Amino acid sequence: MPGNGGAVAARSAVVAPDAPATRLQLAWRRAARRPPALAGAVVVLLYLLLALGAPWVAPDDPLRTDWGQIRKGPSAAHPFGTDDLGRDILSRVVYGTRISMQAGVFSIFLAMAIGVPAGLVAGFYRGVFDQLIMRLTDAWLSFPFLILAIGLVTILGPSLTNATVAIGVAATPTYIRLTRGLVLSTREEEFVQGARALGAGDLRVMGRHVLPNIASALLVQATVSIPGAIIAEAILSFLGLGVQPPSPSWGTMLNAAQQFLETAPWMAWWPGLAIFSLALSFNLAGDGLRDWLDPKDY
Amino acid sequence: MIEYLIQRLAISAITLAVISLIVFTGVRMIPGDPARVMAGTEADEAGLADIREKYGLNDPIPVQYFRWVGLAIRGDLGESIRTRETVTKTVAKKLPITLELACLSILVALTIAIPVGVLSAVRRNTLWDYLANGLSLCGLSVPSFWLGIMLILFFSVRLGWLPASGFVSFFEDPAANLTRMIMPAFVLGTALAAVLMRQTRNSMIEVLSADYIRTAYSKGLAGRVVVFRHAIRNGLIPVVTILGLQMGALMGGAVVTEQIFVVPGFGRLIVESVFTRDYPLVQGVVLITASAYVLINLLVDVSYSLLNPRIRIKGAADAR
Repeated sequence: MPGNGGAVAARSAVVAPDAPATRLQLAWRRAARRPPALAGAVVVLLYLLLALGAPWVAPDDPLRTDWGQIRKGPSAAHPFGTDDLGRDILSRVVYGTRISMQAGVFSIFLAMAIGVPAGLVAGFYRGVFDQLIMRLTDAWLSFPFLILAIGLVTILGPSLTNATVAIGVAATPTYIRLTRGLVLSTREEEFVQGARALGAGDLRVMGRHVLPNIASALLVQATVSIPGAIIAEAILSFLGLGVQPPSPSWGTMLNAAQQFLETAPWMAWWPGLAIFSLALSFNLAGDGLRDWLDPKDY
Repeated sequence: MIEYLIQRLAISAITLAVISLIVFTGVRMIPGDPARVMAGTEADEAGLADIREKYGLNDPIPVQYFRWVGLAIRGDLGESIRTRETVTKTVAKKLPITLELACLSILVALTIAIPVGVLSAVRRNTLWDYLANGLSLCGLSVPSFWLGIMLILFFSVRLGWLPASGFVSFFEDPAANLTRMIMPAFVLGTALAAVLMRQTRNSMIEVLSADYIRTAYSKGLAGRVVVFRHAIRNGLIPVVTILGLQMGALMGGAVVTEQIFVVPGFGRLIVESVFTRDYPLVQGVVLITASAYVLINLLVDVSYSLLNPRIRIKGAADAR
């Protein structure tokens, strides 16, 4: 096909064959070698769009009850069926994306906002400060993540914000440990010593030299802890300690579904599938990101 | 070695002290008046004052803390507000159920994780490896409570093979006990299996590239012998540590699993005590959970250093 040949020629004219590829092109080539990771990232992105565009995507109001449509199986009008109050399950699952994303992403933001500075200070200054922070972290880590989150929600009271805070605080020690460990190995590097020799202050060394070098490891950890946080929110809501009904959280939907397993099993299918697919996509993307950012992998 | 042991013990003791402080403060931050909960809604001011006096709730907070710690060390964690039974007795009743569940799920996890992990390390970058990796990612991503609900839906509601919930003591009726424990153990074991499988694969890959493995191969030993006699021994050491570290996750998982399958164990006790605002019970149960975690990891670390002198020396240096 002459047209096709022309396109190829035009493209190679823009990028000469032996010209060094740009960083973006290199990055894309390495990403394209990992279809599962790429697929995961795409699905995460789709869920993000779903969360942002819920009012336009959802066919119905997630809170509107319809007494004539109670626990009806999947149909053309309600592709995912309806729940025990006649609400459209598809719309509820779509709106539930907002809650899950919010809880998953913001809780990890919070964990990083506390954990990274604490770990930086502990690893950078060592000494008494380090000992104090690390002993506190040890104790903190001794509480199982979920039990700590349950305890914190009990203190704070059940709501989406409080569940997010509780999950974030429960996830924090992981970031303190990780950051500290990374800082310990980075601060001995020659470029850090060099920056010091040039007279850079502590803050500058931490902010400009140490932090950028450990950022990718932290990013990977964040991507793989978000699915855990999403599942934790669903569990808290499932137990009645998170988002309160009638808000469409995937966890509360599963809680309601549990009573109708025999008569309306579809109530349990969709919210669970949504959690599973979102968590799986984050994990796939995170795994890919880990390999992708690994300098040994060129 | 002694130095390392002392260091490790000291760290554990400090951790336990901090844990007790966190638990004590945390429980006091739960909204609501413990005296009101204990007395019931009918009680008048005089009744409340009596209860405050009786349980020392008027004393300064540090006094209350040290009294609580002193009693806790002697094994007295107070009594449940709801049942009036001592916390230790309640826990002693519930714990064996959860321990059985935990042991079964570890069994499930190891039976899946080790063969699959070893296989995917030996057949690295083949279809088997990719399948195993996909499986472990699914195991990590599936919300355990949903998996539980789906199992109930399929095996209990649809097929009617297994009872959906409930508990029968193993000593009363072993068969009934096991049919009720199979699904919870599988649910709890899935996530653990996923984590352990990844660890097994990674450490086996590392061991398989070691010099002594090459030597074993060049001696002319069969691949099977090299893998099973030489590689597995070293390859499984990190798996034991991870198993120890996963005990916390297992405890947390038990909370949800027991809730779904209505298993009257330790995990369900935690949720119940939180919901009924049973302060002494919450306090005791959380303290026991965290302390158990510290002790398990202490044991793992110590046994580890006994097995492997390299860690003993490096560990002591790292701890400083």
